[in-house]
Amino acid sequence: MPESQPSDVRSERGPDERAADHAAIDRLAAELLPSLVAKLGATGLGELEVREGSWRVRLRRPAEPSGGPGGPAAGASSGRSRRNPDADRPERAGERPLRSAHHPLETVTARTESRGVATSPAVGIYRPRTDLTVGDRVRAGDRLGAVDMLGVAQEVVAPIDGIVGASLVESGDAVEYGQELLAIELVPSAGVSTNGTS
Amino acid sequence: MFRKVLIANRGEIALRILRACRALGVEAVVAYSEADRESLAVQLADEAICIGPADAKRSYLSAPAVISAALVTGCDAIHPGYGFLSEDEGFAEVVAAHDLTFIGPPAGVLERFASKAGTRELLNAHGLPTIPGSVGMLRDDLHALSEAERIGYPVLIKPSAGGGGKGMRMVRTPRELESALRVCRSEAKAAFGDDSLYLEKWLDENRHVEVQVAIDRYGHGVHLGERDCSVQRRHQKILEEAPTPALDDAARAELAARAIRAAVAAGYENVGTLEFLVDRNGDAYFIEINCRIQVEHPVTEALTGIDLVATQMRIAAGEPLGFSQADVTFTGHAIEFRINAEDPDHEFRPDAGRIERYLAPGGPGVRMDSHLYSGYEVPPYYDSLLGKLIVWAPDRATAIARGRVALEELVIDGLVTNVAIHQALLTSDSFLEGKMTTNLLDRVGSAAFLAAAARAS
Repeated sequence: MPESQPSDVRSERGPDERAADHAAIDRLAAELLPSLVAKLGATGLGELEVREGSWRVRLRRPAEPSGGPGGPAAGASSGRSRRNPDADRPERAGERPLRSAHHPLETVTARTESRGVATSPAVGIYRPRTDLTVGDRVRAGDRLGAVDMLGVAQEVVAPIDGIVGASLVESGDAVEYGQELLAIELVPSAGVSTNGTS
Repeated sequence: MFRKVLIANRGEIALRILRACRALGVEAVVAYSEADRESLAVQLADEAICIGPADAKRSYLSAPAVISAALVTGCDAIHPGYGFLSEDEGFAEVVAAHDLTFIGPPAGVLERFASKAGTRELLNAHGLPTIPGSVGMLRDDLHALSEAERIGYPVLIKPSAGGGGKGMRMVRTPRELESALRVCRSEAKAAFGDDSLYLEKWLDENRHVEVQVAIDRYGHGVHLGERDCSVQRRHQKILEEAPTPALDDAARAELAARAIRAAVAAGYENVGTLEFLVDRNGDAYFIEINCRIQVEHPVTEALTGIDLVATQMRIAAGEPLGFSQADVTFTGHAIEFRINAEDPDHEFRPDAGRIERYLAPGGPGVRMDSHLYSGYEVPPYYDSLLGKLIVWAPDRATAIARGRVALEELVIDGLVTNVAIHQALLTSDSFLEGKMTTNLLDRVGSAAFLAAAARAS
């Protein structure tokens, strides 16, 4: 969990500096870390990074594969560098979502029962799996891609067994929570074989 | 000023912030949970983005979701409103790390004032009297008992974190203290994730008076007068007014002047509220600072004509305040009624459901800040505030008269509201004489207030 490392080159350091390093590590462990751990726990953030002098301490929550609320968030620095080029096209995310995004599964079953729609688990940037194409067979729960929320992938999964249909948004688009991303067509006959992996 | 602001809140305050943004010519994006898709703020917004499910922990309280929403919509600032993430220094810090501006005090300032006990010490050192209380947090039951003995019963048990009356109990004996400590600890732990408690001397028959301040980044600050929030039910404010009937003009001016001096000296920044308890001798004791825009801010806006949300945004954007204390004038009297979906006949049980019909009152000096509309479905997941009715008049008696008319005119059909308790207050001698104290409603009982009002009418 807690990693601490000097950001400069170790080999050039003398015994005095090394002693100072050890003292700094002791102090960090005794004073800084407990308060950081408490802070991380309290905020629901995924990662915290603190710099002090030549030292940097980063705490990261263990990953939650289902991408729950406490899922790991990118640290302060990575969020900046990963800012999406589409960020200046906010109208995509700002468009009024389809009403069916409310309860995607219910709506789908109510409609024709021949189609499902994978929806976004988070607000962020959509990154579909690149190895899936229209016509591929998938099973309910298969990973179809991810939504990047502050640098952390939140999985997009197939709601039903079926065949990959039309993409409703493009890779790199900003998407909101619950937004429809990818259509999954119901397989007409029995005996679904899975092509996707999870 | 900002180019585009993400509004990370809901209900009436989301609407209030949206209006402030529009008045300033700033674009706004309303972030909403699935349960708030049909909310008025979402409908009126130029742009809205769904950030998560109804569960606030995964939407309005999720720092990653809120920040991600701000980034993908191209916002340069986030307004947290009140509650939720509004006073979370960790959130403010991460917002800043993503090159966004947190509209409120900077993270370092929030951190300095995060602990109530620490803040009392700090502001006490800057000249504000505080209520005698325990030294530091209570270590264990034994420590609590000895501190209570030293302070003198009755004492109030208070949690270091949070507010809203959770984890708070008044106790009169060591026996009561011992059993209440357990309850307070678990309540505080559940509500705020922190079970540290401290003790304060209980002041019988106290008034709650708070001072609004606005301080820019350059240490230039003004006070915007005080508000009286003594009408409370179980430590929850339900009606606020200004000026306070508890103090004369000289005492009010003195309190406000001391509050702004201390807040500036302690390094506070942006709009904030210093809360005081005033005892029957008129002595004011500092209790806590609220580092956010408050529900009752319109009371101050009515008296000063200053848009507090816009002021908050301008300060966060780094602008100088642009006016001095001498420029701030106070006119008339204002009262705010919090209209809640609560049933006064059933222990103020919260209600939710469809608003069949909604009509807002109007007329001179009447302001209704509400997110209701006819046909709106009030979701059951959040607080019960339906809106705030604010009346202003040149004097208190006229403000009360306007309040009666406006409450009469207000129509909210479809669910139960607490309007009856406000109407009862406006006929009660305690309120009319300006003698409400924070425990009066609980001591006398809301039912008795309602019954008295029914007899009077």
